[in-house]
Amino acid sequence: MTGNSEMNFKSSPSLSVGVELELQILNSRDYDLARDAADLIALLGRIELPGAIKPEITESMVELNSSIHQGNATLVAELKTIRNAVTQAARRLNLHIAGGGSHPFHKWSERRIYPTERFKHLLEVYGYLAKQFTIFGQHVHIGCPDGDAAIYLTHILSRYVPHFIALSASSPFQQGEDTAYQSSRLNTVSAFPLSGQIPFVHSWAEFLEYFEKMRGYGIVESMKDFYWDIRPKPEYGTVEIRVFDTPLTVERAAALAAYAQSLARHILNARPLAPSRDVYVLYNYNRFQACRYGLEGRIVDAYAGRQATLKDDILETLAVIAPHAAELGNGEALARLRADVAAGRTDADWLRRVHREHGSLNDVARVQSDLWMGTGEPAKKDAPKA
Amino acid sequence: MTSFLPQYPFATSPLLLFGLLLFAGLAGGELVKRALRLPRIVGYVLAGLVLGGSGVSLLDASLVNESWIFVDIALGLVLFELGRRLHFAWLRNDRWLLATGLIESALSFAFIYFALTYFDVRPIYAAVAAAIGISTSPAVVLLVAQELKAEGQVTERALNLVAMNSVIAFVLTTMLLSWIHHEYRAGWTTIALHPAYLLGGSLILGYAACMAVILLSRWLGKHAERQLVMLLAVIVLTIGAARMLELSVLLALLSFGVFSRNLDERHDLMAVDLSSVGQMFYVVLFVVSGARLQLLELMTGGAIAVVYVMARFVGKSIGVMSLTYFSGARAGAAGLLCIALTPMSGLALAMVHGASNLYPEFGARLAAIVLSAVLILELAGPVAVQFALKRAGEAREEG
Repeated sequence: MTGNSEMNFKSSPSLSVGVELELQILNSRDYDLARDAADLIALLGRIELPGAIKPEITESMVELNSSIHQGNATLVAELKTIRNAVTQAARRLNLHIAGGGSHPFHKWSERRIYPTERFKHLLEVYGYLAKQFTIFGQHVHIGCPDGDAAIYLTHILSRYVPHFIALSASSPFQQGEDTAYQSSRLNTVSAFPLSGQIPFVHSWAEFLEYFEKMRGYGIVESMKDFYWDIRPKPEYGTVEIRVFDTPLTVERAAALAAYAQSLARHILNARPLAPSRDVYVLYNYNRFQACRYGLEGRIVDAYAGRQATLKDDILETLAVIAPHAAELGNGEALARLRADVAAGRTDADWLRRVHREHGSLNDVARVQSDLWMGTGEPAKKDAPKA
Repeated sequence: MTSFLPQYPFATSPLLLFGLLLFAGLAGGELVKRALRLPRIVGYVLAGLVLGGSGVSLLDASLVNESWIFVDIALGLVLFELGRRLHFAWLRNDRWLLATGLIESALSFAFIYFALTYFDVRPIYAAVAAAIGISTSPAVVLLVAQELKAEGQVTERALNLVAMNSVIAFVLTTMLLSWIHHEYRAGWTTIALHPAYLLGGSLILGYAACMAVILLSRWLGKHAERQLVMLLAVIVLTIGAARMLELSVLLALLSFGVFSRNLDERHDLMAVDLSSVGQMFYVVLFVVSGARLQLLELMTGGAIAVVYVMARFVGKSIGVMSLTYFSGARAGAAGLLCIALTPMSGLALAMVHGASNLYPEFGARLAAIVLSAVLILELAGPVAVQFALKRAGEAREEG
């Protein structure tokens, strides 16, 4: 078969981790989304940086990529380096950069598509959804030895998708309204026809068969066209988890990556569970609970057949993966994450509190950007822990 | 028997005048937009020209003078908004932008001054005309940007440079008053104290207004509608106070805007959008400036106007082209910024007007030099700004 080489699963250092962060570019007048992605990327192009800086679908977004890491210490150091460079460049352009899964009050109709062929094509295909896609996610890549391992990891990680959502939820506001959700961002993703989950296949060979069928129908051209919550990424040799909202700080982003990496090590080394269709039967219900209620959401565990709050389920999981976290050097990051979960602290709650204290969503956007850029405006007690 | 009927000739009123100006501007703007695809501002000015002394003389000098109140409100709103664009934090973070603003202002002054004196204009007139030429029309740049819904680095940088060169132009023309007073043999106290009173008084007034809006918005809370009314109240009060105290409306309102942007550390004042309220006053502003322009003057002062316009453009361009590369702006932004800084308009008229009020003879001679240049740049300026912002890819609508 021709043109198939990008579907060969490239082996990568097992359990390595890499992070992509989609970030908000704000003006410094009223903290609405700005349109300066091209200028920001051009200015950052003048300096040497690890990782990569890329455009995203609209001109109000920028994506930071880390390089490949084995554990938390180097990842967080690199993300801080990139953050500082981006912050400095943004200041020279009088822009602010913010984390968070959604901008609190921008109007989607005012967004402009970043002028590349691919993004223009997406606008043509998806219409207004393309502009509404101005939402901000974190993607975590986990290195896999081969395609079969990637398929297995994808299926088992699907059970933990509500964890990733609840831990990262930071999009309570959309279009000037409190949505009542902890993560409203994923509702936007669900509108796309190729969103959802991987089909229930058991090997890379079986997956290729499915992929070729879809390509034969003309539905997709590459893996990029699937907007799944978790998808194998053969050209990187990774499994990519895409349900995280971009958290408010890079420290938190690195901690979420540490959680995913430690969990993946547990899954691939111990092979504790077998892929189950029941996970997918319950999938949308559990996902909704996580989006709506965050740590307070109640999910049904497909394997144990019982209900639990996400908070309890995550705390239990943290205990199980603790040895793996220690092996990877992620112990400290997960200890802080654990403290936040135990105390019920989330980025979404923090944003709501800022809104109550300051009284306007412009202030929310401003304080949220101050936090990401590290100007340390909010008092220590306010700052969400990494 | 018919005493309830109005007597002919009808008594006019300022309201009738305001409505007429607004309507003329609207019609002119729409015609120009639809027929020529030019910015509406060009149409406002043309409507003024047609109605004014150079056209059908419907708007004669006395009517134009009666419209000062609308013009003051319009200029006040524009300068306040412009002042809010001057962000000290940005100038600290991109010092080359600050340097660009300073050098661009200095060079446009120098080039105009030397070009005018070379063509035998007396130094005192050349200096005042050059000081006025430093400023780019804030109203034109702001309005074209608003009309195009433009945003981006070229738009923001242009507005910041305009804010800087307006501040510099005001301060310099005010200081040059000493020279004018000296020329007309005023007493030493006037020579020394008048500029000091104007500068100091206007800045203090701007500062007081800023403190008032910060405290009032803290009291009102984060409610955009209430803050808008409060802000308009303080702006109009400040304009009135500046008039009453014989201070500079321009400097008071510009400094009010600058202070409110940079001193509001707790972010009490919301980013209130004044453009919808301001729009009708801006239309009137441009119609009146059009009516004030005399085509006849262009015939007589034409040659010196061309010298003035060219020298100003060259001075500004050398300043902007030489330093923009070092700032954070992308390649290609410098050329567009040069073009965006060309307009002159009502602000220059107001500065000339200020001089005329003191010494009518001086005002008349100054007007002969500056007004023909304003006529050219009032019509060409909006087109230039529209070109620059569209070319920069920062216009949201084809408008």
